[in-house]
Amino acid sequence: MNTGLILHTVLGLLLLLIPAGALYLLERKMLKSFGLTIVRMVVQLLVVCLMVWALIRFNKAWLSLVWLLLMAAYAAWIVVKRCKLLWRRLLPAVGVGLFVGVLVVGLWILGLVLSVRVFDARWFVPVMALLTAHATAMIIRGLSTYVSALKADEQQYEFLRGNGASHFQALLPFLRRSMLAVISPTMANLTVLGLTSMPLLLCGILLGGMTPVNAFILMLHMIIGCIAASVLSLAITLFLADKSLFDKFGKMQAM
Amino acid sequence: MQRIISMLEVKDATIAVGERTLATGLSFMARDGQLTCITGSEGSGKTTLIRTLMGFLPVSSGFVSVDGELLTVRSAHAFRTMMAYLPQQMQMLRHHLSPDSCLHAYEADEYGVWNALMPSAIEEQSPASLSPEEIFQLAQKTLEGAKDKPIVIADEPAALLTSELSLQMLQLLRSQADAGKTVLIASRKQQLVAYADQVINLDMLKR
Repeated sequence: MNTGLILHTVLGLLLLLIPAGALYLLERKMLKSFGLTIVRMVVQLLVVCLMVWALIRFNKAWLSLVWLLLMAAYAAWIVVKRCKLLWRRLLPAVGVGLFVGVLVVGLWILGLVLSVRVFDARWFVPVMALLTAHATAMIIRGLSTYVSALKADEQQYEFLRGNGASHFQALLPFLRRSMLAVISPTMANLTVLGLTSMPLLLCGILLGGMTPVNAFILMLHMIIGCIAASVLSLAITLFLADKSLFDKFGKMQAM
Repeated sequence: MQRIISMLEVKDATIAVGERTLATGLSFMARDGQLTCITGSEGSGKTTLIRTLMGFLPVSSGFVSVDGELLTVRSAHAFRTMMAYLPQQMQMLRHHLSPDSCLHAYEADEYGVWNALMPSAIEEQSPASLSPEEIFQLAQKTLEGAKDKPIVIADEPAALLTSELSLQMLQLLRSQADAGKTVLIASRKQQLVAYADQVINLDMLKR
């Protein structure tokens, strides 16, 4: 590490004096927790960056895939915890759904859209991380809507089954609600994208040195990829979760 | 309408929920063109029996058959395609009657899609209950859409209806039987029990 980098880091950290000074003057009790939060953030960021550095340094396809697998498992745990579901029942379905959905869409973007070496860690890691983060957020919405709608409207499912609908046909109203819970907020956000909000991703691409035109194109690809990955991951998750959600008589299991 | 012969038979059946046996040695035939009523006190197992006849629950012993074909987990769906079903909790079917009533409006800034913020889980609420008129309207709509189905099963079809609508419901079910269908209802309402061609009283059975 050169001395220039250290100097610039110190100069950056000096900016913390502004919020710290404001807290010192107005809310001293918070100074300690503010300091601890900053330290925790620096450590977390450092760990993540060291991990990415190692992935890029070794640049092995298997290592990148293992990393994605671990990310998917961790994200699945977050989803199940947020949705307050029995993790043993749904963790594998969410994990596999996220891993496969993100991997398929990610490889498509890397190989066919961006035309780069798909397992080049410099591309693989940020693209997959972005898709995983977005798909995770969307699965929280989609899965929680699906499960809670089934609980709240169990009568509708049974009514449809009782009138001759197959299991899949009886699930269609719930799949629709789940899918709309993913698509509708995404559409709402897209309508204001760039007008009232400047996403962090676009700022990151610009900071990385890309021209605004290239940043626009990459951003566009990533937005489309995020939507595709979230819908595909949700579909795979719901398909795999079906056996855990219903018994052989079509009765919903305790979640 | 082409007359389709359908007969629902229960033979030496034991109906149970978990460890609790509700009825043993239950045998009867519900024939086409007849209105069969299953009655009994609260908790006697009327709904459980109806659900068993539809393949939603297994019989502990004995069997259920439709036109001589055994009802099993595998065959249940095929049999249900021959059935029109009016469940006990018809008032809970608002989202079926108007599917868009359950959809939410989303604000753009509710959470940051690409800003790494995780949204909260969604907790869907049970729909507002249907009015007696809406329940009857849904029953009518269901039966109109099931003209070619030879079996009609209704669980407490008049429980939440006014006496006037109960009578209309009774006439509606009778018209189904008159059209040659096998009509099977579960009810405690004397008005419906008295009107049935055959009554199965679960209180009279061994437990």
